[in-house]
Amino acid sequence: MRIEKLFLAFLFLGVFLLAFVYITLGGLFYEQLKDFKGFIDTIRDFTVLNAILISLSASFVSTLIAFVFGVPLAYLLAREDFAGRSFLEGTLDIPMMIPHIVAGIALYCVFMRSGLIGAPLEKIGIIFTDTFLGIVVAMLFMSFPYLVNTAKEGFRSVDVRLENVARSLGASPWKVFREISFPLAFPSIFNGVVLCWARGISEFSAVLILAYFPKSAPILIYEKFTTFGLASSRPISVLLILICLLIFVFLRKPKGRKE
Amino acid sequence: MRKTATITLVVIVFVVLVAGIFVWQAGFSRKTLKVFHAGSLTVPFERLEERFEGRYSDVDVQRVSGGSVMLAREIVDVGERADVYASADYSLIPKLMYPKYANWTVMFARNEMVLAYNPEKSRYADEVNSKNWYNILRRKDVTFGFSNPNLDPCGYRTLIVIQLAELYYNDSKIFDDLILSNTAITISEDGGVYHVKTPENLKPNTAKLVIKPKSVELVALVEAGGLDYAFEYRSVAVQHNLKFVDLPKKIDLSSLSYAKFYRRVVVERADGKISIGKPIVYGLTVPRNAPNPKLGIEFVKLVLSEEGVKVFRECGQPPITPAIGIGDIPKELKPFIAFQSIQK
Repeated sequence: MRIEKLFLAFLFLGVFLLAFVYITLGGLFYEQLKDFKGFIDTIRDFTVLNAILISLSASFVSTLIAFVFGVPLAYLLAREDFAGRSFLEGTLDIPMMIPHIVAGIALYCVFMRSGLIGAPLEKIGIIFTDTFLGIVVAMLFMSFPYLVNTAKEGFRSVDVRLENVARSLGASPWKVFREISFPLAFPSIFNGVVLCWARGISEFSAVLILAYFPKSAPILIYEKFTTFGLASSRPISVLLILICLLIFVFLRKPKGRKE
Repeated sequence: MRKTATITLVVIVFVVLVAGIFVWQAGFSRKTLKVFHAGSLTVPFERLEERFEGRYSDVDVQRVSGGSVMLAREIVDVGERADVYASADYSLIPKLMYPKYANWTVMFARNEMVLAYNPEKSRYADEVNSKNWYNILRRKDVTFGFSNPNLDPCGYRTLIVIQLAELYYNDSKIFDDLILSNTAITISEDGGVYHVKTPENLKPNTAKLVIKPKSVELVALVEAGGLDYAFEYRSVAVQHNLKFVDLPKKIDLSSLSYAKFYRRVVVERADGKISIGKPIVYGLTVPRNAPNPKLGIEFVKLVLSEEGVKVFRECGQPPITPAIGIGDIPKELKPFIAFQSIQK
């Protein structure tokens, strides 16, 4: 009986945030329903589809990079206790805190054609300013902490004794990681991947400074809004939300099954 | 157990702190004055904000800076409410806001187009001048930039300057080399008037030409040395301590006496709106749906006062004195204004 009451109380509190999201997005969708033709026109617009595709794929690439480099880092931070670890963890949170425009300018200074990283790479034909790669770099910087932090918590929740037992039975560290730690932490890591990818798609300011072109979805939305007004930017937002919603609902499903 | 206690304590302290800030803020019961202004007005308006708040200690001035077109859209389309709207192109007020959201416009300041650069990092910075700038921009290793003409008046004004340069320097390839071969922008001539069209997708050759939504965003790139030259307003270059090529009066859109020459270039933007080349004149108004119209008018008074005029001069932006009004000017402002006509 007491649990029931608690459940009701939590439901009530939770609904508050759900309502927050549903009312906000519902308003957006409702307005769009009144202009269904505008929505259909948008779906057929190549520029719009291209921008959404760029956003989804650039964020996918940046998440992939964050995964390859971030999961090992998360494991280290979760397992090893070394001097300055908390300092390191603190610095990794910085990209989440600083204003995006500041991050954008800082990235620009390093990745521009005459920048510290941009200049040597330009010689071998890799250019970041106003290219797809630039979008990836901006997204990566802004969103990788979400993956690292979530994965780190995942590894921390894995019982060290399991790893120790495996090691004492003769498994190599890599085997322990591959067969014990990683699978057990996977739900968290996967969560981090989804967060990282989602955060990347929404990035605007940092991408704007580093790569205004090719136009990704948030930039196109901003431009349509400025040039033609709300009626023309809204359908793109609705389309982007719909596509992301589909992908996220799909991504969240297998995780539930595993548990 | 101790850990829980610590966390609880921290949370309590935090809640008390936040609540305290709320009460403290409310204690002032300050009125807010919302000012929407063009990005290029940021520095002078910042100083005016200080002075205004010094004079009215119960008022909190909140400035929103952005592209002039976008800010007008926020008022007209989104329903944002501002007490003052100041645009880098006075004609946007009648074009986008009349009659429902505004019915008067005051022209209060001018500006001019310059070519800004970084004396240490821009290529050929030591040779560039008002006679050879277009040849330097043509050089293969030089990059230049301007803001998106569909979004920012500074952008379409750049196109006008570059086409006027063709006529002024008597070199019919300047626009072709700088704009046509680097973007999807097109131009046609009809009876001595040049009609530039900027499609929505500008397709810039990004290895040579950098386009950003707002001209102010290019400043950071020039300062960093990633971009060699950027077309900017003079005031913006002065305020950011950039060096600039002072372009001839006949093409820099500053002088009322060359208004007829400026008109020879017309830009049609992606939304179909047309901007005719004309002197750069800043305009402001108090929108009709302003939450605090009285305070809005007070702020406009400060802009037009001797004090305001001085601020603009210091910021590298020539004020129009006395200011020029069109439309139904509120009577409180009439003492500051030279003449009005009923034309819109």
